[in-house]
Amino acid sequence: MRFRPGALFVHLLLLLGGLIMAFPFYWMLATSLKSPQEALQAKPIWVPERMKPSNWLKAARLGDSPLWGGLAPGRSVELVFPGKEGPPPRALIPRTPGAFFDPRAEGTRVEVVYREGAWRVRLTNTTEEAFPSLPLVVLWPKEVPLQAPLPPDAIRSQGEHWRLEWVNAVPGALGYLFHNYLEAWHAAPWGRYFFNSFFTALTQVAVGLFLAALAAFALARIPFPGKEAVFVLILATMMVPGEVLLIPNYVLLARLGWLDTYYALIVPWLASVFGIFLLRQFYLSLPQDLFDAARIDGAGYLTQLFRIALPLSLPGLVSYGIFTFLGAYNALLWPLIVTQSPEMRTVQLGLQAFVSEAGSDYGALMAASTFVVLPVILGYFFAQRQFIQGIARSGLK
Amino acid sequence: MRTFPLHLLLSLGALLALGGYASRLGFLPGAWVGAGLGLYALLVLWGLRFGGRHALLGLGLSAYWFPPMAFLVPLLYALLFGRALREKEQAALYGWALVWPALALLLVWHVFPTFYAFYLSLFERVNFLRPAAFAGLENYRILLHDPLFWKALGNTLWYVLFTVPVGLFLATGVAILLNTQVAFLGFYRTLYFLPYITALTAAAAVWRWIYHPEFGFLNWLLGTPGLDWLNTPKGVFALLLEPLGVRPQGFWAGPSLAFVAIMAMSVWHFLGYQVVVLLAGLQAIPKEYYEAAELDGASFWQKHRLITWPLLSPTTFFLFTLGLIGAFQVFTQVYVLTPTGGVLQDTLTLAFYLYNKGFRDSDFSYASAIAMVTFLLILVLTLIQRRVLERRVNYEI
Repeated sequence: MRFRPGALFVHLLLLLGGLIMAFPFYWMLATSLKSPQEALQAKPIWVPERMKPSNWLKAARLGDSPLWGGLAPGRSVELVFPGKEGPPPRALIPRTPGAFFDPRAEGTRVEVVYREGAWRVRLTNTTEEAFPSLPLVVLWPKEVPLQAPLPPDAIRSQGEHWRLEWVNAVPGALGYLFHNYLEAWHAAPWGRYFFNSFFTALTQVAVGLFLAALAAFALARIPFPGKEAVFVLILATMMVPGEVLLIPNYVLLARLGWLDTYYALIVPWLASVFGIFLLRQFYLSLPQDLFDAARIDGAGYLTQLFRIALPLSLPGLVSYGIFTFLGAYNALLWPLIVTQSPEMRTVQLGLQAFVSEAGSDYGALMAASTFVVLPVILGYFFAQRQFIQGIARSGLK
Repeated sequence: MRTFPLHLLLSLGALLALGGYASRLGFLPGAWVGAGLGLYALLVLWGLRFGGRHALLGLGLSAYWFPPMAFLVPLLYALLFGRALREKEQAALYGWALVWPALALLLVWHVFPTFYAFYLSLFERVNFLRPAAFAGLENYRILLHDPLFWKALGNTLWYVLFTVPVGLFLATGVAILLNTQVAFLGFYRTLYFLPYITALTAAAAVWRWIYHPEFGFLNWLLGTPGLDWLNTPKGVFALLLEPLGVRPQGFWAGPSLAFVAIMAMSVWHFLGYQVVVLLAGLQAIPKEYYEAAELDGASFWQKHRLITWPLLSPTTFFLFTLGLIGAFQVFTQVYVLTPTGGVLQDTLTLAFYLYNKGFRDSDFSYASAIAMVTFLLILVLTLIQRRVLERRVNYEI
């Protein structure tokens, strides 16, 4: 390709725009790896401590397993603070705010000794149960230079001391990196939410596809009386915005006794005007000779549909599937209205509740956002071409 | 030779079963169903003249207890006896049999609710559990004197006026740049496209964090020494926004910028979709046109004004219509970013107001009135747009 001087300018422009587009993603990811202290800095932190591989190595040495850490009954872990001898630091296990009884705070023996040029904080689990995480606070005298074994999640001044705080003193490499993710995951029944979202979306795709294919084939390929009327009706349906349907459909679901069930999430959106249109367009574009030949060979309408039309319209089916899946997985308003119990809520509702409840824990909030968007983004990277073509196809006239 | 209208008989039977179910749920007076049944009996008797088998199978009475059966009966019938029919009969039967499942769902969940919403809006404050008095157009009269409604309407119109043209303009720019056949097309496309497949809930959570009045990235950015000219009392934002009656403050700190923030986020979110669709439109324009124009010595701008713009107009028109309808229903962003409607209901939109009225205050009739007004607005705007714009759309390539 010959060199064009304008190309560099185009690249710069595109890159700048792209950076603005991608920035929120980076910010989500970076914040999801920040400690509370880092997240609440007025001056933004671009690379949080937990993102640095050298810290992962340090974290891997702490706790029972190098990956996920933890402290088993009877086991102990030693945190080494290299430095000069001076007034001894004090170490304690903070109690969870509001917890009446916290086994981690009650059952952990803490010893501080100076040996071989370092202060050693030894934490021993004296209870019968294993601790997946162990918070720790060390009060470090200000006159002694400080070298922490792992960057503290928060550091603040407390009289003569620095107050060093860790949300988990026994993290392991992954437990350290993904601390916010673990916290966010345990804060809500995400497993159930994900199941609901996927079940709803996939059922809508599968059943909706089948129904739309049947109708589209009839509208495109079968000359039956009343076809025009049906088509006009479907066209007219397209003019009605989804907003209008919210209340009547809610009433209908309530009378059917379907509120707060999978029916409510799935059934009202099974018939898709968009799907019928898209597939009809595909079937119309197939040559009539194909169907005539099949007819001569004795194929009925259903055979024509399932053996000829459906396989040839695969791109259309994929487009429909992607659109429907995205719509169902990302929906907020409809599930918000028709479900009440936590068992029936979807991922988006879980996230929404999390946004309003998490308060200032932005790390966990961003972690939750990350795993909510992750399935679709992974899907995109696996099936990029289908995604792009599916979306592009929606604009065909 | 006359053909037997089997499809008519089966369709009416199906509809009748649906009517029976509707009356059981209290949507339809039983007398209507009774009358329908009588009419149907007459038709069956008439059908008997053509051979009993067809007529007797017409009605799936079981459908009264399990409505989906009604729409599968024609399909089953076609499967069992379709091959034996004459060609015209066969086409009619198969056509209706294939259309019915999707059509029935559309009738139940789209067509009926549209009318039912209007019906509901004519009653005094209903929630569907209570009988309510007929009120005529009273709800609409109250609506016209409701300051919150006008605020919601104003916000929505402002949102439409801002996001639709700005989004389209930016997207066209990006698509034209991408279409200059620079390298890394896939990379750039992914950058711009990812926000679109990201759930709005998650995206809004991230933007809420970016907009945070104290720790948000954007306020830091606007406060950095190099950029503070943007946001000072005499800065660029003030210059641009003050004529619109908006006082610029820290994002989220005051009411005025919250809605601007929501609009900016929406443009960011939908840009990728528009870019992909426009890019597909651009790539469908034959290269020969540009080559011919280049031979005639057309400049960059001339090429775009005389070739790209007219030939892209169907795609732009499609995106414009879609954007308009979508923008009128903006809910998710507003709900996640400002769950209470913002300071002094500053970010209220029509959809949000509808949700508040219907599902927080359980005033279904008033909410239905809001829905109908929205519907009417969209309808009028779409019609105007068709009249004014579609004449200028060029459908020939």
